[in-house]
Amino acid sequence: MNDFLNSVGYGQWILHALVVIPLAGVLLLLAVPERAAKHVALAVTLVEAIVSAGLWWHFDPAAGMQYLSAAEWLPRWGITYRTGLDGISLFMVLLSTLLGPLSVLGSYNYISQRERGYYALLLALLAGLIGCFIALDLFVFYIFFELMLIPMYFIIGIWGGKNRLYAAIKFFIYTFFGSLLMLVAILVLVWKVFAATGTLSFSYEHLLANAGAAGSLAPWLFAAFALAFAIKVPVFPFHTWLPDAHVEAPTAGSVILASVMLKIGTYGFLRFAVPFFPDVAMSPFVSGLIVVLAVIGIIYGALVAMVQPDFKKLVAYSSVSHLGFVMLGLWGGTLQSTQGALMIMISHGISTGALFFLIGMLYERRHTREIADFGGIARVVPVFSLILTVVALSSIGLPGLNGFVGEFLVLLGSFGAHPWATGIATTGVIFAAAYLLWALQRIIFNRLGNEENARIADLSPRELAVLLPLVAVILWMGLAPGPVLRRMEPAAARYVELSRPAAGGFAASPTAGEVRP
Amino acid sequence: MSPIDLASPTGIAQALLPEIVLSAWSLLVLLVIAWRHRTAEDSRLAGWLSFAGILMAGAALALLWSEGARPAGLAMMIALDDYRYAAGALILLSAAGTVLVSLRYMERENLIAPEYYALILMATVGMLFLAGSEDFMVLFLGLEVMSIAVYVLAGYDRRNIFSSEAALKYFLIGAFASGFLLYGIALVYGATGHTNFQLIGAQLGDGQVPMLATLGLGLLLIGMGFKVAAVPFHMWAPDVYDGAPTPVTGFMATGVKIAAFIALVRMLFEAFPATEQYWQPVIGVLAVATMIVGNLVALAQRTLKRMLAYSSVAHAGYLLAAVWPGTRFGAGAVMLYLLAYSLTTLAAFALLASLGRDGERDVRFDDIAGLAAERPWTAFGLAVCMLSLLGFPGTIGFIGKWYILQSIIVESHYILPVVIVVTSVISAGYYLPVIMSMYMRSRAPAPSYAGLSLSPAGAAVVAVLLVAVIVLGVLPAETIDATLRSAGTLVRTMTPLAER
Repeated sequence: MNDFLNSVGYGQWILHALVVIPLAGVLLLLAVPERAAKHVALAVTLVEAIVSAGLWWHFDPAAGMQYLSAAEWLPRWGITYRTGLDGISLFMVLLSTLLGPLSVLGSYNYISQRERGYYALLLALLAGLIGCFIALDLFVFYIFFELMLIPMYFIIGIWGGKNRLYAAIKFFIYTFFGSLLMLVAILVLVWKVFAATGTLSFSYEHLLANAGAAGSLAPWLFAAFALAFAIKVPVFPFHTWLPDAHVEAPTAGSVILASVMLKIGTYGFLRFAVPFFPDVAMSPFVSGLIVVLAVIGIIYGALVAMVQPDFKKLVAYSSVSHLGFVMLGLWGGTLQSTQGALMIMISHGISTGALFFLIGMLYERRHTREIADFGGIARVVPVFSLILTVVALSSIGLPGLNGFVGEFLVLLGSFGAHPWATGIATTGVIFAAAYLLWALQRIIFNRLGNEENARIADLSPRELAVLLPLVAVILWMGLAPGPVLRRMEPAAARYVELSRPAAGGFAASPTAGEVRP
Repeated sequence: MSPIDLASPTGIAQALLPEIVLSAWSLLVLLVIAWRHRTAEDSRLAGWLSFAGILMAGAALALLWSEGARPAGLAMMIALDDYRYAAGALILLSAAGTVLVSLRYMERENLIAPEYYALILMATVGMLFLAGSEDFMVLFLGLEVMSIAVYVLAGYDRRNIFSSEAALKYFLIGAFASGFLLYGIALVYGATGHTNFQLIGAQLGDGQVPMLATLGLGLLLIGMGFKVAAVPFHMWAPDVYDGAPTPVTGFMATGVKIAAFIALVRMLFEAFPATEQYWQPVIGVLAVATMIVGNLVALAQRTLKRMLAYSSVAHAGYLLAAVWPGTRFGAGAVMLYLLAYSLTTLAAFALLASLGRDGERDVRFDDIAGLAAERPWTAFGLAVCMLSLLGFPGTIGFIGKWYILQSIIVESHYILPVVIVVTSVISAGYYLPVIMSMYMRSRAPAPSYAGLSLSPAGAAVVAVLLVAVIVLGVLPAETIDATLRSAGTLVRTMTPLAER
């Protein structure tokens, strides 16, 4: 496989292709008739997914940051279109490209008006997300970070539910607020580093190596970065935009939002906030604060999910809970906890994505998401019920399915540093079982009370095509997580290294030099 | 080109070529319309003639700029530097856009009186003088020439009571502001014995700044504060912007603001560099107040035109923040932001002019509901304008804002940047509902825009502006360098804080 990939120069063009293909798709969509839009979008995202699949084999875990490329953009200001991929971003990119075609396919029936615009926005969103994960220049990262707001804003605002306008603007303003403060922090950091080193550059590695120049401003800068990412994750108490956005967004919007977009928050901590300012991030106060917030998120998200009458809102709150585990893992300070956090980021993307698809399918049939409106549908739609059960169990973290690996590693790895918090967080797993199993019971088991439920159709081949790849990943990652863990290990180890409060200052980080282009 | 001797008549004629061309042309236009002022066709003729005059002035300006004309010795009366040329180009752009957008508008609103175009040319001459002034006398004359023409333009729809109110209000407040300005000039003259910026700068740089000059500076800042509509001197702006015919509003919001800001920067940089510690806190406080009040009050508006009026107050705040550092970097940021703001605001007002009737005072957010379905290009254009005003990446508005932030952060100052970004977030609260209304709501039963459309000339202007907004937003390197270079030609008599 690698010989073939090398023979086509895969490494040289792959990252550019991943951004350019969806953008080219946007232009293509503007040229095709309305009816063909969804097919074109599907084709574009399939090409994207197939092209990106090569990364799985071609990526070299030992090589650190790879596929590096840099194109000058604003040279006078040290701004370069600089991209690269490591074991952390690899999986985020693959997750995005996997969910691309599935989201398009999942929207085939749901979206019936202004299709062209919808799919164009979906593709633009995909390009923005991937750009965010591969950017190695903070200015470029910021731009991608902002740019993906607009497609999501329109997707929620135009194709969303009843309360969509409120949800869309809330989503926008929350994220915009955080990101603008981050922009100020980026600029301050860049100029501080410039003052110290004489090189004006927004390059990630340059800033990482010299972030110590921030001096006494470091806590403020960390706060600005952390706020931007905490809103995105979302960390309790910045989560209030999430349920609104999820409930109002159309299915594919929810899927992308939960599966990929939230991960930009945790990715930002992993990539920028913590490695830039490890002394601040790992100081007893900050790390205590974050761990407490993470645990509150885990428990609070689970408890609130339990009482939701709306299935979609239940899943939305479960995201708050799951991402609490990720945050806990990031502050666990060990390789296991970091790998666990990364695993949760992936498996939450898969499981929650699948759950949102399933909810969307149910909604298309019955035009309701109220748990109370269902009951006993296992007999009516056995295939649907089977898949829903598998996915729910994976979200709960049943051993043998993907959710378990990450949560187990996080709890194991964080116990040393935060025994109390980890102990409390463990109960979150139990709560997760409680709210999801209870919901399952009320939806697919119990008595078939409502006449209308007796007539709903089981999954169509198209819907199976959306769900089966996700179920396959759920089983595969649960049974054989080794290949995934191996690929992310060096990158996770580097994060652990970088996040250790350095005795000799930030510049002493031993791995900082090896990945320079 | 050899340095221009400003003491000789030929030198003066060379240095003032754009202004002379435009003044002469405006008289010619007046002469033509003395015979032809009855029909719509006459009005169109005057419009196109004026457009041609602006092009010629632009050519003259381009000549000076490309030749890199500089004064021999001290710049008496008029500046000969890239900062003036860049500002002149922006002013002419604003005037040309306004003329083209007005062509159909004046007919539609039944305002057939071709003197309108001559007035625009005269106001433009005033703006050019104001932006190029190197001497308080020229500054004041330019300001008055500009203002008097704009007073008339604001009240041009004389059957509309709000237009008349706008003119009267603008006139009274303008006269008031001129009073402050003149008194300030007098005090500064009393303290230094000069009216030339650079001579004053040299005088004040010598040692102790006399009390009289400080007082004069304060009065000057008040006068300029009125002109740029900085809080707390902004009270007139919303009513005037709201009442004036929409193309005139666009002209006021861009041309007047460009000229006044360039004059402010030049005055502070060249005449008062030594008193930076006096004006810096004042400008900083004005900037913060303007950003906060402008954005918060804009949030409460329900009509588009009034919202844009307050938003232009808010943008004056961002511009003041860029004046604050008092550096070459900051002056470049002012120029770049003026470019960003003018391109976007002109396009926004041109589009607004096609969305209602009777001065568009009543076009509420609800009235443009569903615009995207009916007029997708108009909606797209307005959406781009809103995002650019918001400072969203991918548009020139973002580049402008980034540059302002950077110019302040370099000075290791962090309060203004935080205020800028926080108020920018507030501004999302009124820019986004416009997009929301156009794209996410269903069509209003009797939309204000029914039966209206952009004229071909207007559409061409908007298209050019929007392409510039996006292209310069994506590939800004050349533009940024040009603005920075232009700022580099400003003469700093003393350079106490700037070149650290």
